[in-house]
Amino acid sequence: MARIMAGDLSVDIRKSYAGGPRIEAALCIPLGAPSVTVLFGPSGAGKTTVLRSIAGLERPDAGSITCGGEIWCDSARGLNLAPQKRRVGYLSQDYAVFPHLTVKKNVAYGLRHGSADELLERFELSELAGRYPRQLSGGQLQRVALARAMAPQPRLLLLDEPLSALDAPARARLRTDLRHLLTSLKVPAIVVTHDRIEALALGDSIAIMIDGRLRQSGAVDRVFECPADADVAEAVGIETICPGRVISRSAGLVTVEAGTSRLVALDIAQPHPEVFVCIRAESVTLEPCAAGTPTSARNHLPSRIVSVIGEGPLARVVLDCGFRLTAIVTRQAEEELRLREGEPVVAVVKATSIRLVPRP
Amino acid sequence: MDWQAIWLSLRLSFWTTVILLVIGLPAAYWLTFSRRRWKFLVEAVVALPLVLPPTVLGFYILLVIGPRSPVGQLYAALTGGMLPFSFQGLLLASVLYSLPFAVQPFAAGFVAVDRKLIEASWCLGVSRRSTFFRVIVPLSIPAIVTGMILSFAHTLGEFGVVLMVGGNLAGITRTVSISIYDDVQALNYHSALETSALLLGISFVVLAATYGLRRRAWAIWPA
Repeated sequence: MARIMAGDLSVDIRKSYAGGPRIEAALCIPLGAPSVTVLFGPSGAGKTTVLRSIAGLERPDAGSITCGGEIWCDSARGLNLAPQKRRVGYLSQDYAVFPHLTVKKNVAYGLRHGSADELLERFELSELAGRYPRQLSGGQLQRVALARAMAPQPRLLLLDEPLSALDAPARARLRTDLRHLLTSLKVPAIVVTHDRIEALALGDSIAIMIDGRLRQSGAVDRVFECPADADVAEAVGIETICPGRVISRSAGLVTVEAGTSRLVALDIAQPHPEVFVCIRAESVTLEPCAAGTPTSARNHLPSRIVSVIGEGPLARVVLDCGFRLTAIVTRQAEEELRLREGEPVVAVVKATSIRLVPRP
Repeated sequence: MDWQAIWLSLRLSFWTTVILLVIGLPAAYWLTFSRRRWKFLVEAVVALPLVLPPTVLGFYILLVIGPRSPVGQLYAALTGGMLPFSFQGLLLASVLYSLPFAVQPFAAGFVAVDRKLIEASWCLGVSRRSTFFRVIVPLSIPAIVTGMILSFAHTLGEFGVVLMVGGNLAGITRTVSISIYDDVQALNYHSALETSALLLGISFVVLAATYGLRRRAWAIWPA
């Protein structure tokens, strides 16, 4: 754990539920620079409990929470600051917009000074000011909830699964929007999610929670690339994630530079050239170097084998093709192709199997 | 028709409803959100008038507010009057007798308010008390109106408690139901019929209005 600084949020709590996992979470989030920290992990890992404890909505069994030198919770002293006094913006999964108030009154609800109009403007809600929540779409509700949370000028934003209440197409669209909103607000944010794509698209850094414990934290791509242990690797799921850069686009396809190689992938229609290239190990095909028959696959990457690890009937092959690429093949294929450490091989990946995620 | 008794009953019902609104809302809030282990005991006490014979309740109230009891003596010292056989005594008895008819619908309304809305309000820096008035009450309006109407109607029709605590003093404690009873005892069926019909009419109109307006007037945000 990093040294605790005065401007940090430091959480070290324990809580157990009947029938639930015992939660023992310790994390430290720097609040100096406005960045987005993703609290990531499978469902039931205790992420929401940690978030609610930070907000003051849940009382830990034991432990402490301090924020910028201020003690929010200290079980040893029987201290637990009320949520009203923490100045934290909290967004629950379904946004909890007040149904009996208009958009404008919702946004003005916690306003101390300043005007609601300014906030409405900033969140592109001016036209909806007089509407009631039941007349709004999921994305609009999310903006209302964010604008409302910003009204009392919080020093920290907490978002619990902010995209899970939306349908799939809206979720994909709003991922990027939400990232832009969060960075423009200049308030540090903690986002809870169990979705890897969301974690990649939203977070600057990530903390991984499994079975109630914090297992690894750091920059998003570092953690995804180098999981500390097998559980974390399973949680992050995607075998290959590497930073890339869009260098050209044409006819719905883009060329991405990743490491020293170039890949063709489907365009994701986002202006920012910085992306993460995500490739699942089972969608990588290996060919001997000599093979020259044309295939429908767009990406043929000459590679060198870094390691081959047997996993039951399968073998996990790590390749160096300008970046680290993981493939999973059967034991039979391993034998036939004589896949050995240091040998050359060609990795084949279809353009449709490459997933590009905007890089924060 | 005994207009005096009708007017008395309406006044009694009105003030009972007002008092129950004032004490019933905090009581229901406490019953809904308290985590005390002995909460169930309070719940049982509040619900007692539902099952207790009115005469039993009336008898105990009479004992408690009687001139020799501490409560009666305190009241006499403060006001110089007596509670039994007075309008104030009747009001006190009615409030206790109708307590569950107000508190239970209020509490049911509060429980139905989404907990996340309440938490959202707290996190926006709004105190528990303000959250109660700005979120919980507006979202419980139908339940609160139901509780008020039930209290009103229940007080309008009470008989046993009134008889025990208030007796039968014209203009002071003779309510509609006692007036009807008197008429029947005196074989004055015509008057009894008129008063009964009026009471039936008032009760029906109030309840019909309640159920009829339920969907429209109380939906303070558009459907």
